Amino acid sequence: MKIDIDSTLRCDVLIIGAGGAALRCAAEIFEKRPDTSIISITKVTHPQKSHTSTAQGGLAAVDPKDPLDATIYHMFDTWKGSDCTADQNVVKTICESAWEQILWLENRGMHFSRNRDGRLSKRTFGGHTRNFGESSIYRAVFEADRTGKGIMDTSWGETLKKGIRFLNQTIGIELLIENKQCHGVIALKQKEGAFIKILSKATVIATGGSGQVYRVTTNCRQNTGDGLALVLQSGLPVMDPEAVQFHPTGIVGPGILASETLRSVGGILRNRDLEPFMIEYAPKMKELAPRDLVARAIESEIRGGRGIVNPDHDIAHVWIDLTHLPDEVHEKQIPEVSSFFKRYVNLDTKTDLCPVRPSNHYHMGGIPTNAWGEVEDKNREIIGGLYGAGECAAASFHGFNRLGTNSILELITMGSLVGNKVVDYLKTMPSAHHDLIPQSYQPRFHNYLNSSGKESIGTLRSRLRTVMTEQVSVFRTEDSISKAIDTIEDINDRALHTSITSSHLAMNQELVQRWELENLLLVAKSICYAARYRKESRGAHFRDDFSVRLDEFNHHSLVGIDDNGDCHLSRREIDMSLFEAGGEHSEKFDFIERSY
Amino acid sequence: MSKLYDLTLRIQRTNSEDGKPRYQTYQLQAGPIMRFVDLLRMINDDQDPSLTWNSSCEHGQCGTCSMRINGRPMLACELLVENGVEMFNTTTFTLEPLQVATVVRDLVVDSDEAYERVNRVKPYIIDPLPPGKDGEEHQINPDQLELYVDATRCINCFCCASACISSHRTFLGPNAMLATIVRVLDSREQEKKERLKTIYSDQGVYRCHTSKACSHVCPKEIDVAHFIALAKKGFALE
Ligand SMILES: Cc1cc2nc3c(=O)[nH]c(=O)nc-3n(C[C@H](O)[C@H](O)[C@H](O)COP(=O)(O)OP(=O)(O)OC[C@H]3O[C@@H](n4cnc5c(N)ncnc54)[C@H](O)[C@@H]3O)c2cc1C
Ligand code: SF4
Ligand code: SF4
Ligand code: FES
Repeated sequence: MKIDIDSTLRCDVLIIGAGGAALRCAAEIFEKRPDTSIISITKVTHPQKSHTSTAQGGLAAVDPKDPLDATIYHMFDTWKGSDCTADQNVVKTICESAWEQILWLENRGMHFSRNRDGRLSKRTFGGHTRNFGESSIYRAVFEADRTGKGIMDTSWGETLKKGIRFLNQTIGIELLIENKQCHGVIALKQKEGAFIKILSKATVIATGGSGQVYRVTTNCRQNTGDGLALVLQSGLPVMDPEAVQFHPTGIVGPGILASETLRSVGGILRNRDLEPFMIEYAPKMKELAPRDLVARAIESEIRGGRGIVNPDHDIAHVWIDLTHLPDEVHEKQIPEVSSFFKRYVNLDTKTDLCPVRPSNHYHMGGIPTNAWGEVEDKNREIIGGLYGAGECAAASFHGFNRLGTNSILELITMGSLVGNKVVDYLKTMPSAHHDLIPQSYQPRFHNYLNSSGKESIGTLRSRLRTVMTEQVSVFRTEDSISKAIDTIEDINDRALHTSITSSHLAMNQELVQRWELENLLLVAKSICYAARYRKESRGAHFRDDFSVRLDEFNHHSLVGIDDNGDCHLSRREIDMSLFEAGGEHSEKFDFIERSY
Repeated sequence: MSKLYDLTLRIQRTNSEDGKPRYQTYQLQAGPIMRFVDLLRMINDDQDPSLTWNSSCEHGQCGTCSMRINGRPMLACELLVENGVEMFNTTTFTLEPLQVATVVRDLVVDSDEAYERVNRVKPYIIDPLPPGKDGEEHQINPDQLELYVDATRCINCFCCASACISSHRTFLGPNAMLATIVRVLDSREQEKKERLKTIYSDQGVYRCHTSKACSHVCPKEIDVAHFIALAKKGFALE
């Protein structure tokens, strides 16, 4: 069996991933330095199949022509939303260049929805306010319900035009790092079943989210946290892995996102006994309370035995009741979500109660970078030639809770910032590549292919995802997290006894799933250890046994995993430069209370 | 208790060793709202981990899971068991790869090969209108946008191309045509000549026989044939 290196490719810039962050970065590099050779590898069959294509709602950006809105309000909303754990230098940079990014997309053909004047239409979202929380504001531009697709189509087109080389269905499996310098990656070309070495001067990790760690998730099937696993396996830390966002209303059982609109048009959440339970948890706001609060309320009902179990998907849920709303609301205000219920659970929102439950949605934590996307180790020293952008990275713009529409803004902004940084970096690089011998992929893949035993990869993966959903999701306690850690260790042991039916490497989906299982386990482990260490509640991280935010935890968590599988925790300070700058409004950027 | 269906899935399999297709039959039980992607996963987990297929978003947004189910190109993540049973009036389903490119393995076709036709029409603005005033976007009247916005919804699932007999030969295919038609109608594209040349070339719209199979199978319910007809009429907009 051939797991040796089949061939070596060379390029200036290697991008692991081809989602929104990856392609915005590549496009920027081409615009600034047209003759750059860029290779982008992607796990999916084509860049357009990346997860960014599914982002629906919109993209936050303050329009300088808008007399009511101001960039500082956007910064404040982001800081407050993050539960005071975002880095203020990053918040400032991203919010300030947001509109420029919108124009970049618009000028290159993105089909934004328009108002009667032919200008970009705007919508409002939870947490978008003017005057520091005074009232809501229209700040999100959008392309109907397919904003992410618009970004993907545009940035894919631009990179294709400029001559990028895509290697689709090709997975990055080992970073080539020596003396704090990255020289490329080892990758597996799935179609051919060939292991290749890609040597590069700069490497950008843009692998997206990690939602598959959880059983119910709005994320796509490829989101197995590969980028996080890649850095952990290289002895580098991940930051704030415990900061995982759950959307209150994923459609049971696939976990498809049913937007907040359902609640804002008057949908009522009901338990098994059809009681409208939100009144118990948020007597004033009820269904309109913020995401995390609603998710906890639903989860409490389910835990109290007042959920309903869907027999097909075998998972507990509550109902969202929309039957009392006039037909017009169903047809005019929620046509997309109504069609999702029809399509995926065969229910009619006009006459049926619809099953929803909290679903994993977004990973705020990720690969620690500075404000320009340069990857750092636990001592905040830069790894030369290694960058991170998009959902897999944490600069951190979102802290412990992301506002709707801030993610796809971050992708394109950080993508373009990293692009500029890479262009500068290339000027300093010698023209020859540095070749390195891979360290870890061969023994690993050898074991995957040669171990024998009766354990099933699919069953182990389900067990991991179930324990994470049951023990380390919306609610966490010392006990529940420890239980999950024990299960993870058990799965780790059992995974040594899986076998792979076909020894042919070409398009061997079992082999890829075996490798993904290892990534999922690593990411799950980092989530658990950080969550157990953080004995407080902050943003999306909620501990039943420590239910308030504590000043002593006003810092980021860094988690590394050593060769023996032991986890090591350390901290990174939060950048408070907006607060420290003093002057007008700086007090708004202190550790303020997150109440709505 | 929800009802369980006894299903028979006849799946076309092609391995990389000899490249010859054969059919393998799987029996399984599943509830009414399981999707076809769930069925394939069940087969992987319980019966045959080597059966190869593909998906990504699993909610009809990316076009990765397209395949032929009882001959009809569709998205496997959008078809529920009970809807499939009703639509085809049977509990036996034949699953085959799309007819748009070489089969890599089982239900997976070579998407690079399929996309090559889309790449040929240049799915980007070739010559962009210069930017507006500082900080200002271009103005596009919503009525103008309405004329082509449906064509921008295409996710390149290639269901239409699989159903379109003409595109099995030289025709670039319905979705490739949409990608270029959009940019003929978009005022931000200045390079119309090259686009029209492709559209009216011997690989362009005149290869289309107006069967409307494309519109019929499109999972996004885009009236693809309407746009092709529009191009045939020389974009004479009423
Ligand atoms: C249903 C849904 C709706 C959303 N709506 C919004 C919204 O309205 N507004 C908003 O701001 N955010 C939204 N989000 C969040 C947002 O879509 C994501 O955070 C964002 O798209 C992530 O982009 P990315 O470029 O980082 O990664 P992705 O788009 O996920 O791209 C990752 C890329 O990396 C590749 N890859 C992964 N692993 C490997 C590997 N090992 N080797 C090679 N390639 C690899 C993948 O194939 C892919 O090409 C939504 C998310 C979901 C799930
Ligand atoms: S109408 Fe034309 S493009 Fe559409 S399927 Fe028929 S021949 Fe193909
Ligand atoms: S037009 Fe429809 S069927 Fe054809 S590729 Fe696009 S989305 Fe798929
Ligand atoms: S997997 Fe994306 S459309 Fe089916």
